[in-house]
Amino acid sequence: MKYITKKNLLRLTEELSSVYRVLAPVAQGGTVTFRRFHPGMTLDMHSRMAAVSAKMATLPQTESLLLVQRVEENKKPELTETLPQGKTLVMGARPCDARGKLLLDPVFITEKIRDQHFIHRRENSIFITLACDQPETTCFCHSVGSGPADTAGSDILLTLVGEGYVAQAISDQGQEIVTHSFFEDAQDRGQQAQAKHGHALELMGQAHDYSSAPAKILERFDDMDFWEVQSAKCISCGACTYMCPTCYCFNITDNDLGLTSQRIRTWDNCMSHTFTLEASGHNPRPTKAHRLKNRVGHKFSYYPDLYGGIMACCGCGRCIKQCPTGVDIRQIVNAAQEYAQ
Amino acid sequence: MSPLDDLKTAIKSRLGELDCVIGWEQGYDQLHATPLFIRSEADLDRLVIGPLAVHNLATYLPGLRGKKVGIIVKGCDSRSVIQLLNENLITRDDLVVFGLCCSGVVSHRKIRAALPVDPGFVEAVDLSTDTLSITASGQTTILHMADIAADKCQICQYPNALIADVLVGSPQESKVLTTLACQEEFEAKSEAEKFAFWQETMSRCIRCYACRNACPMCVCRDFCISTSRDPLWLGQENTPGENMMFQLIHVSHLTGRCTECGECERACPVDIPLLLLRRYMNKQVQDVFEHRAGTALEQTPPLLTFKVEEEGIKERGW
Amino acid sequence: MSPQNIRELRIVGFLCNWCSYGGADTAGVGRFVQPTDLRIIRVPCSGRIDPLFIVRAFMNGADGVLVSGCHPRDCHYAEGNFYARRRLEMLKRFLPITGIDNRRFEYTWVSASEGQRWQHVVTEFTRGIHTLGPAPSFNPVSETEWNKLAVQASEGQGCPCHG
Repeated sequence: MKYITKKNLLRLTEELSSVYRVLAPVAQGGTVTFRRFHPGMTLDMHSRMAAVSAKMATLPQTESLLLVQRVEENKKPELTETLPQGKTLVMGARPCDARGKLLLDPVFITEKIRDQHFIHRRENSIFITLACDQPETTCFCHSVGSGPADTAGSDILLTLVGEGYVAQAISDQGQEIVTHSFFEDAQDRGQQAQAKHGHALELMGQAHDYSSAPAKILERFDDMDFWEVQSAKCISCGACTYMCPTCYCFNITDNDLGLTSQRIRTWDNCMSHTFTLEASGHNPRPTKAHRLKNRVGHKFSYYPDLYGGIMACCGCGRCIKQCPTGVDIRQIVNAAQEYAQ
Repeated sequence: MSPLDDLKTAIKSRLGELDCVIGWEQGYDQLHATPLFIRSEADLDRLVIGPLAVHNLATYLPGLRGKKVGIIVKGCDSRSVIQLLNENLITRDDLVVFGLCCSGVVSHRKIRAALPVDPGFVEAVDLSTDTLSITASGQTTILHMADIAADKCQICQYPNALIADVLVGSPQESKVLTTLACQEEFEAKSEAEKFAFWQETMSRCIRCYACRNACPMCVCRDFCISTSRDPLWLGQENTPGENMMFQLIHVSHLTGRCTECGECERACPVDIPLLLLRRYMNKQVQDVFEHRAGTALEQTPPLLTFKVEEEGIKERGW
Repeated sequence: MSPQNIRELRIVGFLCNWCSYGGADTAGVGRFVQPTDLRIIRVPCSGRIDPLFIVRAFMNGADGVLVSGCHPRDCHYAEGNFYARRRLEMLKRFLPITGIDNRRFEYTWVSASEGQRWQHVVTEFTRGIHTLGPAPSFNPVSETEWNKLAVQASEGQGCPCHG
């Protein structure tokens, strides 16, 4: 166990920003979002959980895949594949951000498909995670197999103790960083950190058992009345999916810019009408009820069925907290679980 | 009887003839309300009104067209209902309006800013006429309603529902203030400063379209031009330019129709002050056409009509 | 190369087919010297012009946008330009809040016979745009500019009420 003061953490971040593209929580205009960090900026690790997850470190909202350039009218255009460059470091992610990252792996890295862009970002990103002191009302990470001090997916886990952080190296890369002279020995602060982890988990209360959810949600698959009631207040925007650490659906677009064009991959959003709109005009998910069913079903039924029972949800609660109309995914899953004919 | 009891009684007497009545209930904690679709008398028990019931429920009406529904509206929300009626987007006969006399709603952004700790973990909330007491993370803070009222409430000219089949509560006075200091301060900035502000602010937009979907006047819903590929109005890439372009599409389509309910700004998950743009446009509409959307039935939105001689428009002479 | 022997700027002109496009033609036939920065897009009526065409042009890097239609009461379709006048006026008044200088956008009326007026309008407008210089790009173009924005963000400059 190591220890680093707040001041030194800022200095460390400044130093790391010359090697890495550092993403750090920055408070501005009443909100906290992950921003590219540059020396001279301040870290806002504690004010509140970042509104948008750190997903952009491994799956950016816009990813350039391919550049097409036509140099001469009669010649074939030149194609250049654009792979991500450099390394990314996320400072001040939460355990849910780090766990969310892991849930994308089985999708982008399979025996058949190896998504080069994702793999590059995944292998070249470091997560320095901050354990949560206390949960928010919307947090339920402990119900989906995680917790306020979950180390899964992190390289270093920081815990606030006094005017600094106890740093626990999780990976080899994390181990390398904590050998820096900014870190000192944690001494007995290690136990204090442990106690904090226990306290935070205690505050979260009884964990909900989601083990029956996959089957129960599937049972409701054809019950559109159920989904219409559940989705009544949903306004079909994409706030939940875009802020979610585990939503990975994407869209591919060719951006025609005259003589040059670009193929980009962008986040898609299953709440949108165009998500499954087919070229014929037919849409298998024509209403918001169909679409919300897909989001909830995917996270708590289809994904766990495909990937060994793990929920595609890290319990960060962003979709609940930041939903303009307060749609609560927990309530919907509960309603399916407790549904009585 | 309290206004809430009056309201419940009124709803109970009409519930039989309606598919549902849209109101509010407590959300994921005591500080947050969430829309409630009342379908039975049992649902009615969960109904809440008051300063935490922030949502403009008129947003749901165009989507429920063809059904007979009831809706609870504050003064500002009632303007949206009127505007929707004026544009023939909803049918009066299918609608029962339960109007409130509203003394203002809170701004969650202001509450967050005013509290010493983040209200992520709210333990208790206590509401009185002028104050809101919040206990979060073991600390209790008493906030004055005047300090945490939504911007729109500080300049509210229509606190009582302008259209209502049933009006509950005692009528409130409209506010003396008609302009917001922060709006004026922003408008007074130089063009370069404003440009840089939007560049920076739009770089945190994630284009989730919460602003669009929360807007009661955005009635294209699934067929918005911003998601059309042909014609391509808006690129998929998330750049400040495209994000701003979307805001300009939104504002442009709201010219003379925006009822300034503030749902766009409230819905924004990254707190972009979108009303700076809307209020400014509304002011121009007011200056040129003396028009305020949704304040009277039978109004025509100013861009859907014209005058041969426009008194309000002074064209450039060359 | 423009006849004024300076670097051309990107000025987009939306011209109504029935009047202003003819007016520009008249000016050309009459050999009235005009700056060549203007790139003309012919539209069937000024009423066809969605204010968002103009916004899109600015967002795509136009330095100026000029709209010209038939004089009011002279619309080929009777009332297209009456609607256009309202829309365009609202856009012109709205632009300042976005930080786009509204002198970069003008709308006016030129009839098919007014070659000289067209020459005057184009020359004046182009001169105005040259005085303002190239328009800034909404998307930061360099890493340095992005850095500037990031620092600005962390300092919370901007909206007085939103910190």
